[in-house]
Amino acid sequence: MKNVILIIKKEFNRFFKDRRMILMIFLPGVLIFCLYTLIGTVMEKVTPSIPEGYEYTAVVVNMPDGEKFKALDSVLDVRNLSVEEAKSGVAEGELDIIVEFPSTFTADVESGASPEVKIYYNSSVDTSFQGYAVVTAILNGLNAFTVNSSPAEVFDLVNSEKQSTNLIAMMIPMLMFSLLASACIAVAPEAIAGEKERGTMATMLITPVKRIEIVLGKIVSLSCYAMLSGLISFLGVILSLPKLSGGLINLGAVSYGAGTYFMLFGIIISIVLVMISAFSVLSTLAKNVKEATAFIGPFMIIIILLGMVSMFFPNPSVGLYAVPFIGSGIAMSAVLAMTESILGVVLAIVSNLVLTALLIILTGYMFKKESVMLKK
Amino acid sequence: MEEILKVEGLTKTFKQPKKLFKKTDGPETKVAVDNLSFTAYKGEIFGLLGPNGAGKTTTLRMLATLIKPDSGSATVCGKSIISDETGVRRKIGFLTSELKLEDAFTPEYLFDFFSGLYGIDKGVTQARKFALFQKFGIDAFKSQKYGNLSTGMKQKVALVVSIAHDPEFIIFDEPTNGLDVLTARVVTDFLQELKKDGKTIILSTHIFSLVEKLCDRVGILIEGKLAALDALENLTKEKNLEDKFFELYERVTGATI
Repeated sequence: MKNVILIIKKEFNRFFKDRRMILMIFLPGVLIFCLYTLIGTVMEKVTPSIPEGYEYTAVVVNMPDGEKFKALDSVLDVRNLSVEEAKSGVAEGELDIIVEFPSTFTADVESGASPEVKIYYNSSVDTSFQGYAVVTAILNGLNAFTVNSSPAEVFDLVNSEKQSTNLIAMMIPMLMFSLLASACIAVAPEAIAGEKERGTMATMLITPVKRIEIVLGKIVSLSCYAMLSGLISFLGVILSLPKLSGGLINLGAVSYGAGTYFMLFGIIISIVLVMISAFSVLSTLAKNVKEATAFIGPFMIIIILLGMVSMFFPNPSVGLYAVPFIGSGIAMSAVLAMTESILGVVLAIVSNLVLTALLIILTGYMFKKESVMLKK
Repeated sequence: MEEILKVEGLTKTFKQPKKLFKKTDGPETKVAVDNLSFTAYKGEIFGLLGPNGAGKTTTLRMLATLIKPDSGSATVCGKSIISDETGVRRKIGFLTSELKLEDAFTPEYLFDFFSGLYGIDKGVTQARKFALFQKFGIDAFKSQKYGNLSTGMKQKVALVVSIAHDPEFIIFDEPTNGLDVLTARVVTDFLQELKKDGKTIILSTHIFSLVEKLCDRVGILIEGKLAALDALENLTKEKNLEDKFFELYERVTGATI
């Protein structure tokens, strides 16, 4: 028992007298708190909140007379448009719904037939989708007729491309940040801290090669690797998106041009560079691979969080694009939604490149410090 | 005689790990190398003899520009370890068990890679590789991964790679440590050969017989200070090197052995 206590004491000494280890105890908890709070806030934003007493803008065709249809009047703000104008209005999100009763509605109901009421809506617009649900509920309560029963007709007037691009734009930045960070964490700790740990880094340090050359060589090669791995994952994500989004994303409806892919590629390269250089700083600071992985882990969560933050800025100012990581997420999101500002995308890429350069200089400086490079 | 290495007042202090001095109330720093001065001349093997912790490796690391001295200076082939680190690195070869080679690569690749880092012409590299690989019998395993080689094979490869650029000044830190008698013999023979070729060598060791066999001049390092510095024949005039070392050790440390 004495020995067990001795061993426990020794292990506790190792854990609790090392500030880094103590930090590692608290950091995941703090990060989980931040992550969950953020997810909660995002969910609140995503859940449609339609103000009470909101009147759904609508065009009603052949509104039947009668007390029981008064309930519709109370929830609808009826506009006077032709059916064709109304349909394009719904598709564009300018009008919530169209309620179309057949011209023979009253006669049909009286003769015992079950006429069909058609409600056109747009599932990508919160008020439209909600309006559709409200009107359907009211009509279903009245019986004697059916709602949207023609199987061949499309009542959801959503613009398939817009819906798909919006969803892609929302999901990709976070996924991409996670994938790229995973690709980077797979190689960065091993390449610098690993070499330090194995003693192979010192062998290179006694050659006439400049420290900054070693750093650059490492960062470029690691970035290529991470980039390749990240792009393969990206392809996997893109191809799995239709399934992931429950059919809401229709890749066939999305027509990105070469410019979109070019911009996306530029953003991704710059993100990989900044991630690899940031991880390289941490990997250089660490004594061994284990420590490097421990350093990078929480940092990776922060990066993913920052990728998510882009969801909060549907209409970002150009300046926001220059904020590292957040700006990249916003730029990627905007490019995918085809609402990008070219200046913003350039700013995001340039800010990443500037940060990369600063981190490379910092790593080069650290490579010159014996207390960092030859730490045991 | 041409001075290849000139060391003047080299001093290096390390911080003690905090946990240690907290309990023992000991000093916060340890002087690893204390005001060291000596010279090595062209074509000689200079031995740095001392027990573990005497400051041999720290001295060699400073000479190889891996770490910086707190004070003092040294020149290697006229290049200062303080102001011209790259110049020094071009001139030296450093073989120590602390510097390792990547397990994933073959001896052939490693030789080419390090030769490339020194900017050696490809033709020269190939010719030198051919000669050295043949001399050390590396040809037989030149295409095997370094990680799969035996300790002796690894040491041969490390030795050859450390002199891939044909340095004028070679630092060997405990070069025969952990080697079997056969490989140790190959290494010592090669050191003598390098000397014949006019190379200057500094050799750190705690093995008396190695110093007696190879070195022209010897510096005995005890607790970071040079306790003796002389030609081997002068040091061993009255008694053998081992007895001389213990006499000095007792005098410097006050310990009785």
